[in-house]
Amino acid sequence: MGIVIAVISGKGGVGKTTATANLGLGIALNGKKCVVVDFDIGQRNLDMILGLENRVVYDMVQVMDGDANIKQALIKSKVSPNLYFLAASQTKDKSVLSSNKVEKLITDLKEKFDFVILDSPAGIESGFEHTIEFADAAIIVVNPEVSSIRDADRAIGILDSKSAKVKNGEEVLKWLIINRIVADMVESGEMLKSEDILDILDIKLIGKIPEDKGVIDASNQGKPVVLDKKSIAGQAYTRISGRLCGQKIDMQNVEISDSGLFKRIAGIFR
Amino acid sequence: MQSNQYSVKVFETTINDEIEFKEFFDVNHTLFKDHLILIQGEMSDEIKCYLEDKKLEYLQNMNLPKGRSRKALEKEIQLLETESVVSKQIAEAELKKLSTKLQNNLTVLDGMVRSGRELNIDGDLLLLNRVNSGATINTTGNLIITKVVEGAIRCHGNFMMLTASPKANIVFNGVEVENSLLEDRLNRVELKNNEIIITPVLKKEINWAL
Repeated sequence: MGIVIAVISGKGGVGKTTATANLGLGIALNGKKCVVVDFDIGQRNLDMILGLENRVVYDMVQVMDGDANIKQALIKSKVSPNLYFLAASQTKDKSVLSSNKVEKLITDLKEKFDFVILDSPAGIESGFEHTIEFADAAIIVVNPEVSSIRDADRAIGILDSKSAKVKNGEEVLKWLIINRIVADMVESGEMLKSEDILDILDIKLIGKIPEDKGVIDASNQGKPVVLDKKSIAGQAYTRISGRLCGQKIDMQNVEISDSGLFKRIAGIFR
Repeated sequence: MQSNQYSVKVFETTINDEIEFKEFFDVNHTLFKDHLILIQGEMSDEIKCYLEDKKLEYLQNMNLPKGRSRKALEKEIQLLETESVVSKQIAEAELKKLSTKLQNNLTVLDGMVRSGRELNIDGDLLLLNRVNSGATINTTGNLIITKVVEGAIRCHGNFMMLTASPKANIVFNGVEVENSLLEDRLNRVELKNNEIIITPVLKKEINWAL
C-alpha cells in the first residue's frame, strides 16, 4: 500500500507542477515505484514538463468513467522505469470529478505504487478539494512572498477541514517546500525569511529550493531539472526526494548567497 | 387569634436640656397621662426615674408608624415596588458589567486561525496562537491573543490584550485601533469615557538584579 501525496499551493504559478514532476522523478530515481497524476483537469501541463505530451492516449477521466483500462492510461516515463504518469483531460472541466470516482482511482493506484503524487489545480475550487480529499499527505509549495503564503494558509485550512483522513479523526501530514528563494534578496531583507514563513504556516519544512534559471529551460524541454546534477534547484529536488523516501539528509541553507559567504570569509581576514 | 386594634396618642420629643424638660413635665404631666412619651436621642437614668415617678409610659428611639390616609399608603407601596424594580435592574446591570469585565463564557483556543477562517465567539476568547492574514475574529466579550495578529479583529468586550501586530485590522467597540500604538509586548486596550486607552502590561524583558 503506497502513500498518496497531494501537491498544493493555493496560488497559481508557484511551481506545483514543476515540483510534482521533479519529486516524482526524484523518487523514481531512488528506486521506488511512483505515479504522478495530473488533477488539473482542463489545464494540464504535467505531460509537457515530463516530456510525455505526445504519448497521451487515454486520460484520467476516461479511466474513471470506465472508457479505458488503468493500464492503458498509465504512461511510462522515458527516463526511469519506475515512474508512471496519468494525464488529466484537456477537453473536460473540473465538474466531471466526483468523490466516489476519485476514491476508486486513488485506491487502485495506491495498490500498484509506493508513491502516488497528485498535482492539484491552483485555487481552492472543487478540483482542489477532490485532490486533497483522499490524500495521506500534502506538500505545500510556496514562494517567499506574502500573497503566496496567504493563499497557502487558506489551502491548509481547507485541507484540515475537508480531508477524509481528518474527518476520520486522523491527521494529514503536511510538508512545506519553499520554492524560488533568491539568497541575495533574503539577505538584504527584500524577501521573506523561511523562519517567518514557517512561523505563519506552522507546518514542517521538507525543503528549500533556490531560484534557478535552468528550471524554465528544463520544463520547456520536458526534462525535469532533477536530472541536471549541476543545477542547484535540481540538487534541492534530489534532496527532498531522498527525504520523502526516508533518507536522512541534512538541510542546506540555500539562503546564503555565494557572494555573501565569500564576503563573510573575506571579512574575517580583513 | 384574637387581637385588638386601637390608636395611641404619642408625645414625641428630644431632650436637649434636662431642667427645661422637667419644668415642662411638672406643669403638663396631667395632660400626658393617656399619652405615650417617645424620647428620640439620649436619655439619662434621672429622666427615666422622673417619668416613672409621674407614672408615664415611655419609649426610647423608636420609629412608630404614623397615621396616614389609605391613598397615601397605597402610593407609598407602589413607589416602593417601582423603586425595588429599578434598584433590581441597576443591581443586575452592575453585576453584568462586573461579570463581562472579569469573565463571561470564556472560550480557550490553542489552534492557529488560518486565512479564510471566521470565528464568531459569543463571550470571551483566549487565543494562544496566531491569527493569520485573511482570518476574522468576532467576539461579543473580551479578547486576549498572546501571539501576533495579521487578520481582522472585531471585539465588543470591555478590554483586549494584544501584542504588537502591525498588519492587523483591529476594531474595538466600533472604533478602529491604530496598530502603531501597540508596543512590542502585551498591551491592554480598553474603553474609558468613550476614549480608547492602550497600556503596555508586560515588559519585554525582565531586568534581573544579578
